[in-house]
Amino acid sequence: MIEKVVFWIVVFLTIVGGLGACLSNSLIYAVLFLLLLMGSVGGLYIYLGSPFLGMMQVLIYLGAVGILLIFSIMLAGPFWLKPKERGRFLKIGIGFTLGLGVILVLWKGVSEYEPRIGPERLSQVNKVGKLILTEYTLPFELISLLIVISIIGAIMLGVLGGKKEGKDALE
Amino acid sequence: MPWNDPKIFQLLSLFLLGCGLMGLISRRTFLGMLISFELILNGAGLNLMTVDRFFYQDLPRGEVFTLFIMGVAASETAVVLAIMILLFRKYKTIEEEKLKGLKG
Repeated sequence: MIEKVVFWIVVFLTIVGGLGACLSNSLIYAVLFLLLLMGSVGGLYIYLGSPFLGMMQVLIYLGAVGILLIFSIMLAGPFWLKPKERGRFLKIGIGFTLGLGVILVLWKGVSEYEPRIGPERLSQVNKVGKLILTEYTLPFELISLLIVISIIGAIMLGVLGGKKEGKDALE
Repeated sequence: MPWNDPKIFQLLSLFLLGCGLMGLISRRTFLGMLISFELILNGAGLNLMTVDRFFYQDLPRGEVFTLFIMGVAASETAVVLAIMILLFRKYKTIEEEKLKGLKG
């Protein structure tokens, strides 16, 4: 019983987070709704039988990406000068039509077929580790290379951008 | 049990995709677009995990790919935020309609 209640609460929080992240008028509210959504998607991962992915979601998305987003919003302020986050009316119309159209088209495809559901599967972290280190070794190494390159690139952008600006200011 | 039905998870990930597309078009700043893009990535991860759990019984390949999506999303966010802070230093704004330097 309590699992069902928690499941529907998590689904409701996911819907609220998605709507708030795309509709809220202020950027910091959008980020907070996005954090809510990431946490509840982690809860959905747990209901899908993989607590490991739920933990990774909380660690990576809530911990790393969320802090990065809030940090950059604080750096790129001041937002109280222009509180409106919505674009022009045309853009809102196009975005709403596109999103609703994609949802309706794919909704028909998703809801009409009858899935063949297999037996329930428990968490298999050992199988995930074996797959990563045997079959998907090359993507794994490329991901680590990508993260190193992006860290170096971000530091270079920060440092060199600041230096160039300083030089221009001196001249 | 409602969580033994794949349709709920698939419709949720579809909903996240729609919300992300709408936000991606209607936001005014680059940061808002990045937030909407994170919505789309979350929906993609949820969909992969659903397919892995319900339709693919052999090996957890969907979990592996969801982990890869998380890594790519984290590194992409770092680079985009660095570019955005640089843009803000130079032009004092991150609204996409005011950044006309490359328009010609």
